[in-house]
Amino acid sequence: MELKDISQKEVFRYLGYQNNVADKTTQNIAIECTTELLNCCRMNYTYKTFCCAVENGKVIIDNRIIIESKNLSKNLAECNELILFAATLGTQADILIQKYTHLDMSKAVIMQAAAAAIIEQYCDQCQNNIETELQKQTLFLRPRFSPGYGDFDLKHQKDIIALLDCNRKIGLTLTDSLLLAPCKSVTAVMGISNQNRHCNIKGCEVCTKTNCTFRRG
Amino acid sequence: MSILELLQKRIVFFDGGTGTLLQEKGLQAGELPELWNIEKKQALIEIHKNYFEAGSDIVLTNTFGANCIKLQGISYSIEQIITAAVENAKTAANQCCKNKKGYVALDIGPTGKLLQPLGDLTFEAAYEAFQQMAVAGEKAGADVVVIETMSDIYETKAAVLAAKENTNLPVFVTVVFDEKGKLLTGSDIACVVSILEGLGVDAIGMNCGLGPHQMLSLSEQMLCHSSIPVIVKPNAGLPRSENGKTVFDVTPEEFAQEMVKIVDKGACIVGGCCGTTPAHIKALYQYCKDKKPLPIIPKNKTLAASYTHTVEIGKTPVIVGERINPTGKSRFKQALREKDFDYILREGFSQQQKGAHILDVNVGLPDIDEIDMLVSVIKQLQSVIDLPLQIDTSDTVAMEKALRIYNGKAVINSVNGKKESMEAVFPLVKKYGGVVIGLTLDENGIPTTAEGRFKIAQKIVKTAESYGISSKDIIIDVLAMTISSDQYSALETLKALNMVKQKLNIKTVLGVSNISFGLPQREIITANFYTMALQNGLDAGIINTNSDVIMQSYYAYKALAGLDDNCMDYINQYSGQAPAIKTATNTSSNDISLATAIEKGLKERAKQAAEQKLENTEPLTIINEELIPALDHIGKGFEKGTVFLPQLLMSAEAAKFAFEAIKVHMNKNGVVQNKKDKIILATVKGDIHDIGKNIVKVLLENYSYDVLDLGKDVPPEKIVETAISQNIKLVGLSALMTTTVTNMEETIKQLRQKKPDCKIVVGGAVLTQEYADMIGADHYAKDAMATVYYAQKILS
Repeated sequence: MELKDISQKEVFRYLGYQNNVADKTTQNIAIECTTELLNCCRMNYTYKTFCCAVENGKVIIDNRIIIESKNLSKNLAECNELILFAATLGTQADILIQKYTHLDMSKAVIMQAAAAAIIEQYCDQCQNNIETELQKQTLFLRPRFSPGYGDFDLKHQKDIIALLDCNRKIGLTLTDSLLLAPCKSVTAVMGISNQNRHCNIKGCEVCTKTNCTFRRG
Repeated sequence: MSILELLQKRIVFFDGGTGTLLQEKGLQAGELPELWNIEKKQALIEIHKNYFEAGSDIVLTNTFGANCIKLQGISYSIEQIITAAVENAKTAANQCCKNKKGYVALDIGPTGKLLQPLGDLTFEAAYEAFQQMAVAGEKAGADVVVIETMSDIYETKAAVLAAKENTNLPVFVTVVFDEKGKLLTGSDIACVVSILEGLGVDAIGMNCGLGPHQMLSLSEQMLCHSSIPVIVKPNAGLPRSENGKTVFDVTPEEFAQEMVKIVDKGACIVGGCCGTTPAHIKALYQYCKDKKPLPIIPKNKTLAASYTHTVEIGKTPVIVGERINPTGKSRFKQALREKDFDYILREGFSQQQKGAHILDVNVGLPDIDEIDMLVSVIKQLQSVIDLPLQIDTSDTVAMEKALRIYNGKAVINSVNGKKESMEAVFPLVKKYGGVVIGLTLDENGIPTTAEGRFKIAQKIVKTAESYGISSKDIIIDVLAMTISSDQYSALETLKALNMVKQKLNIKTVLGVSNISFGLPQREIITANFYTMALQNGLDAGIINTNSDVIMQSYYAYKALAGLDDNCMDYINQYSGQAPAIKTATNTSSNDISLATAIEKGLKERAKQAAEQKLENTEPLTIINEELIPALDHIGKGFEKGTVFLPQLLMSAEAAKFAFEAIKVHMNKNGVVQNKKDKIILATVKGDIHDIGKNIVKVLLENYSYDVLDLGKDVPPEKIVETAISQNIKLVGLSALMTTTVTNMEETIKQLRQKKPDCKIVVGGAVLTQEYADMIGADHYAKDAMATVYYAQKILS
């Protein structure tokens, strides 16, 4: 990924600017931080397709893993297969943010926002690649849905990490309290459907909390 | 015949992948393969047999993830699983190895968790998990421990120490490189080799991640650095996804053909990883069984390593930064007493920026606990700075503790010619690895003559050898003594330096600055002596990188000695730079007031303006009449939404610079600074996201509060204990996730019971006023400024 792929508007959204425009100095620092992250991070992702059954607010993956979640089952309605997905910016992003925490806190928060923008953009890019592959078989992807969204319990991080062998494949681990480590990482479920529903709405747009400082748009 | 003896005679063959074969036998994704050791024994015996029959000398037990961190909530103990796994492999060996011995390797894979500070696993907990495995494996009869598929050198170190300290088995290690030859955590090949050789492993190599084709050049690089046998175990090519399934394309024949090249380069232990089958091993065995292993030639490079890279001592001059040292620095002493790690880290960063290759770390003060401090400082430094560290202490207990937790191959400062010193230090060098500095002094003191010092150097090198420490891991310091007390001392030092370098062929190091002690304008003498020392064979100078004059000597010497290609380093350093003319006030921003500098976030100017003010204004007046009003103004803007977080923090940083100037001024004048009340800040147990807490810390410190930052992932007990012992009136807790708010609630509960007069303010991404009320906090702070306001209200 290159600097031009990362929306600086997103970086400032994470910094709470809403629709305000940052001053030139801060803009320059944001570009510096984004560049430094892109140079240092060793991004990685992995995914795997599983069969699934969706019924009454319940999703069953690979005939074994049962997820009780109305939101997720709505997201996966009519899907017989899904993709489990995980991506990470690696330990380098965490180290950089930590470094600037000691050196210059203002840069640390900008670094953190830039890292958040990069991982989201990276996930979008990975998702696009997967979509292109699927389209060859006239299959379509539903928006990605992560543990912690709505009523999709965070405990299912464990299942995703184990099913994808994340530690070995991309160095992504889980702490005892279910936080992803490295921090700048994403896990998600994406339904595979034979109908193109153009449902590209994700993230902020599906969230019901409309008064959030960090909301997009 | 032991496995190590076998290695001398011929190429040794490992087995191939087990995962793929288990899947064929019905193992599901996410299912624990280790349980099959007991529940589906026969399947594993079959697999092991297939490999022995194909030509493997060693098979790995099915214990990759059989550690207590991964295997939780199962009905068997770790010992049961490992014993069964070793038995399965031994059964297979007994059944099909008639003419040769079938060796059983206890397989140890990673814990599946990230170590602190990036994750929540402690080094000690990782060690204990590996220890349990290694002990059980040896007891069950394994012939060798194989630590494999490691992608973090720190976790690997824990595993190696656990295996070596608790068993008598040989220890092999293989790690996972990417195509660029780096581990996931950033270590390069030379770094991996130097750290693991230092720890005394018996063979070293790579597995998984790549196919034989990609591993060819990586194994060449590893062979270039390694002085011990090299293991190569590739996958059957790069994994590819087909209909959602992972497949590998390299056929047994192709695999073997590529592996021949690797063996011809010098790898002497070979096998396969993911996607390889008994057919791959059979082909490999057929192609390589008659090949003779190439002799292993010791590589005589003197290497220090951080967790990412190595620094070679003896090629071009190496700069060791001397600034992390309290000697003669009152501000540094204060930072040590106050556990102000940020100050120490900044000393580290600034030396890195100025060109240091290695950082000396000395934190000894009579009135602090040096052991504890050295360990803490090293942990902090290695979490954010990727330079190798030089552990500088005369306390061998502190030295051992520091070497144990150091994530790299350290320089050890120092041993000397005294019997007592060598007996204490050399065993540590042998055990943990490291490049040790040998000071040329002994029971009779420092010899005045070069010959005397040379003799001690000889004694140090010889004694080290008797401990099995190679002379490449010793650098000799012939000691620079000030010329102010003996005008010939510099010449004697240079002579000794030359002798050690030429006659003993050992690398050299010097604490350069000592030469000018007691003289005016010390830099002039130091810088010129530094050039003379470099000319006489100095490999590593311990110097002050903040001194421009000394750094000029370094760049000039490199250019003049033909060590700077096309003078590029020199040109990069000094072109376009007019010689600095020192004047008292030569800045254009001179007219910007302290308050404006803070509001605009101009750090350097804020510092300068504060320094100017201090010439005729009391520190307290500056703080109360300029600093605080400026911060208040910015804070108000933040509240109103006209100033945003980055700007708020830029102002905070600028204020910090001004405060630093005031601190230095007060220190110089012996004034003790009265801080306001102490406040505890902590990110609660289980939570490793601490940026929010750190923002609050910066702002509270701006308002002169004495912040006790307990860090992240802090257990409730530690918070309560500190609150009681320090009689704290306000505790700030941060949590990011719903899963960790429960620990926040628990912390509040314990504080209420044991320190009821203490107020608690909470904040963090998932918190709301409602949530804060529910868990019983006194106050919910929606952002960092809100915490400052609450502190002002409570503590005024």
